[in-house]
Amino acid sequence: MKGAELKPEDLKGLLRGLLEKGVVDCLVMPHRAGKTVSYMLVNDPDKIESPESAIFAPSFVVNAANLVKGWTIKEKVGIVAKPCEIRAAIELIKLKQMDNESLLLIAVDCSGAYTNQVYTENYADIGDQADSAKMKALEGKGVLIREACAICANKLADVGDIIIARAAGENLVAAGLTDMGVDALTTLELSLEDKDLERTAEKEKIAGDAKAKLDALPQMGSLDALEEFLHDCIVCKNCRDMCPVCYCKECFFEQPLGKPTGGDLLNLAELRGAIGLPPGQLFYHLTRVYHVSTTCVGCGACEDACPKDIPLTRFYPVITQKVQDIFEYVPGKDVEEPLPFTAYEEEELEDKLRD
Amino acid sequence: MGEEAKGDFEPKIVGFTCNWCTYAAADLAGTSRKKYPPNSRIIRLMCSGRLDPMFVLKVLLNGADGVFFSGCHPGECHYIKGNFYARRRIAALRTILKEFGLDERFKSYWISASEGEKFANTMKTQAEEVKKLGPSPLRGKIL
Repeated sequence: MKGAELKPEDLKGLLRGLLEKGVVDCLVMPHRAGKTVSYMLVNDPDKIESPESAIFAPSFVVNAANLVKGWTIKEKVGIVAKPCEIRAAIELIKLKQMDNESLLLIAVDCSGAYTNQVYTENYADIGDQADSAKMKALEGKGVLIREACAICANKLADVGDIIIARAAGENLVAAGLTDMGVDALTTLELSLEDKDLERTAEKEKIAGDAKAKLDALPQMGSLDALEEFLHDCIVCKNCRDMCPVCYCKECFFEQPLGKPTGGDLLNLAELRGAIGLPPGQLFYHLTRVYHVSTTCVGCGACEDACPKDIPLTRFYPVITQKVQDIFEYVPGKDVEEPLPFTAYEEEELEDKLRD
Repeated sequence: MGEEAKGDFEPKIVGFTCNWCTYAAADLAGTSRKKYPPNSRIIRLMCSGRLDPMFVLKVLLNGADGVFFSGCHPGECHYIKGNFYARRRIAALRTILKEFGLDERFKSYWISASEGEKFANTMKTQAEEVKKLGPSPLRGKIL
């Protein structure tokens, strides 16, 4: 992998350079606003001030891929985001919701994130970025990272066109993964040399910790438990709207069959004796979990979006992981790999149909 | 709908079958006078690939005691590859249903147009199995 070592303060030059040299027309990247961070679409290089204070901030605001979903434009947009967001963008490219050629995906090492509320409240302790020692100390004080981040095994940047890794002590390494990424770094006149950013041991440790956290989550396991879990759902569908990979223009649950009202509901009540209101909690979530079953990147945006604080991470990423396992598919890993539902092998899966 | 005793309840089973194979097999079972229990209601699709897993969810949530889907044997699809796609979707759906113990109520079969007897036997076995499971836990729920 071709890369170059950078000081944290060189990051500003790198990102400004992308705009100045015309590598990208615009950048979607986090910017700092006091104790919090949010995304901006930036065109003027001078507006990028201290990116190192924002792009590593362990705070999850919104999945960046969801912000650019459906932008089928010719102009080139660079996205600087966490690996889960970049993986969602890659899934959207495969789903033909975005054009690979008009995106420059820049993945940044993540250490796990707090919800932005928790981050803002504890900014004094967390600071601009956090390492595992600091996070461990905060865990002792009851300041926890998001559940989706705790069970995430893919925190180190290894997808997209360019990665920005915290792999050289205080310094960073920017490396190109694709031709597009290497070209971009070359245009910036960085002196590229071979870098080993596999980080296998580190990845294994993260995956091990993530697995332990996943196994420690309460299991649903039964229909009654699911019913109770979703009991407070008001079917506002905010989890769908904030999900980067839920992309239908006309959602089934906005149409008469999926969103029955009035007389239709009376008919259903007559048929079943009684129906829950708002209708279709189970149907909505079970359908949605199937729809995102192969593409869910486990970012946890659904849980953040839930106004009733249902811990949806225990539903969406946990279940979709099991579906992805049977296809041996990791969403967002490879832009060339076909989506499981668009491919098949002649002999496969028979045991999964009737075990 | 009250709880029925497990022994003497007649399950409701909904089946989604492909026009070119299982539906014809059901016909063949009829014309060759094979007996099978009347518990299944069959919905004909033009191909097993037409089966949207949402159909299965809807049927289960509406209280069916069993659901099955049946298509042409892999490699024999009338439309070349419809059942290959169906197989992937069904495998994914069953993985999800398994989390909540609903997978045992959802069966999948491959039955060709010439297998009238297999169809009759399959229907018989499934009706017996679902009877043993008892009424669907979703029947009485307020969903």
